[in-house]
Amino acid sequence: MPNKNGSVYGLTILSPIIDDARATPSHDLQIRNYLAKLSTREDSPFALAPATHLARLVVMDDVIYVGAPACEEHLKSKYLIFESNCDGDLDGYLRGLADNIPEHLDAIWKHCVGYPGAANRQAFIDYMKACQLDTTFYFAAVNDKSVSETLRALQTQTAVADFIATHQGVDAATLQQEFIQFVARLKSLPLPRPGSMGPHRDIKTGGRNE
Amino acid sequence: MSKLNETDIQGFVLRGYNQPVARYFFLHFESAARARSLIGRLLSHVTTGQRWDGAKPQSTVNIAFTHRGLERLELPDATLLSFPVEFQQGMKHRAEILGDCGVNSPEHWDKVWCEDRVHAWVGINGLTPEALDARSSAVLSAIEETDGAIVLGSQDAAAEVVQGRPTTREHFGYTDGFGNPDYLGVERSSQPGQGKLQPDGTWVPLATGELLLGYADEAGELPIAPVPHLLANNGTFMVYRKLHQNLATFRDYLDKRAATYGGGKEKLAAKFIGRWRDGTPIELSPDHPDPAIVQDRNRSTNFTFGADAQGARCPIGAHVRRVHPRDAFGFNGRLIDRRRITRRGLPYGRFVPEGEPVSDAEERGIIFMALNASLSRQFEFVQQQWIQYGNDARLGNDKDMLIGNHGGHGRFVVQGDDSRTNPPLVCTNLPDFVELRGGDYFFLPSITALGMIAMGLVDPR
Repeated sequence: MPNKNGSVYGLTILSPIIDDARATPSHDLQIRNYLAKLSTREDSPFALAPATHLARLVVMDDVIYVGAPACEEHLKSKYLIFESNCDGDLDGYLRGLADNIPEHLDAIWKHCVGYPGAANRQAFIDYMKACQLDTTFYFAAVNDKSVSETLRALQTQTAVADFIATHQGVDAATLQQEFIQFVARLKSLPLPRPGSMGPHRDIKTGGRNE
Repeated sequence: MSKLNETDIQGFVLRGYNQPVARYFFLHFESAARARSLIGRLLSHVTTGQRWDGAKPQSTVNIAFTHRGLERLELPDATLLSFPVEFQQGMKHRAEILGDCGVNSPEHWDKVWCEDRVHAWVGINGLTPEALDARSSAVLSAIEETDGAIVLGSQDAAAEVVQGRPTTREHFGYTDGFGNPDYLGVERSSQPGQGKLQPDGTWVPLATGELLLGYADEAGELPIAPVPHLLANNGTFMVYRKLHQNLATFRDYLDKRAATYGGGKEKLAAKFIGRWRDGTPIELSPDHPDPAIVQDRNRSTNFTFGADAQGARCPIGAHVRRVHPRDAFGFNGRLIDRRRITRRGLPYGRFVPEGEPVSDAEERGIIFMALNASLSRQFEFVQQQWIQYGNDARLGNDKDMLIGNHGGHGRFVVQGDDSRTNPPLVCTNLPDFVELRGGDYFFLPSITALGMIAMGLVDPR
């Protein structure tokens, strides 16, 4: 129930990371290393697979002890956290990931306990769902539209804004004629790729804006 | 909140002097000992925040330091390293974060700002050019007699004088300097619209800690400040930016755009800023300037945007709406209370009446100075998010029409309505109307702190 906000699904997955003293480097470090090199733009795995609005992968080491009077506690394991705001039903979304980015999934989750691999679709879906937590307090800041609807809307907005800017003061007959052509052209355009709509900005992420 | 100790705070922080001429000296220190003795000498000149119950003084003096300057003054490392990171880095190093790229990037700045040699700013304001010269000579003598600093350069600035009276107009013709915030404890003749908005629609002063170090800010926290507290308390941070104005480009662009705009040239100029050129808020008087509003202290800054969500009166991207959104983001304006800055400054360069030949190449613009407790949370946020970006206002990547760094691209939308005299208009191919020519971040210490620096008594323990 609380996993959805409108039509958008809030997925939270915690997968325990393998604790193996013989692994060099340790499995959590291997995940961190892989994640650090992933693209966040058009060639992000979540842009290559369908239906992701936002996704985040984090390695959680432990509970941080902040000193007395807090009591010192520890997790049983390190965890890989996967959070995603995605479209549609969960099975379909997970299948889409397994179909489109199996090599990324395997490279990341092979360091997690009990991961069966993406090749066996049903085992993969069952594994992910076994690791799922209910997202108990969830707000999807995406206007309740699907990823494709959002991409189409951004494409339309940009195109219409450009059309308006270049057609101010044009006489009504010409305007109508050109608008009809414009709409036909717009309809025939392919859907933009996820991650492709934002212009390049110099502003960095990861605390480097501060 | 009790009254602040105005005798301990530099006057420049607490009030706009409304003096028509100014000169800013940029100093370089060579020896810490000699620089300290200079600061000791200048202390007797420094104008405090005490009210002028009688006549205005003929001139004022204030002083501020870059982090490099404080280093050269040999403040202890434990103190130097306790300053906020952005102040330690300085404005040039923050260019990418501020969007100071393209024509605004440091390689195009005036030489004095390129060389990382400015250690102090001494700002002198005068009622008359004679008073300014006299006080400048006194400061220069102190520099000479102590051999305390090298004067790297100076910047003159002056209000436009019309019929013998100084105005608050800038070169593009807009009346400026309306919206400085009120702060708790600062005695100042204030007016509605200058503090923070309350749910009942009234305005109250902002927390003192939005302006001064050592006091609680709007989050109830103390602003990040250097140690010891005595060095920080009653001090603030200052941004200095020399903003060149391309007047020929501005006039040409306005004329060309106005030719196809049903509202006429003056209304279009008003839409850019959100005020008619005489200062009338377009939100209060959408069809014509109204001097009665400008002169009415209860109205000239007393307006909100809530009833104009579509921007039909004041465009959503108009300058005043961007930099002081009031209630435009909802939540009774609470999202903006930690993003306010106090602005000082004066124009520089020759004023050229409309219709007379003018060139972008002439030295002309505005010396923009902003005061705030946190450079990164206040000035840098406003510059990065509200000037160089539009997402908070739901304007995507659009930048501020007049001071955005457009490089010939970009867009400004005048929303309008379906009437003949208020049509929508999309302004495209925006040139850079304003270019950054340099500046830096400064620490403006209290009188006590200036004394500590002068005497070498800054002790972080």
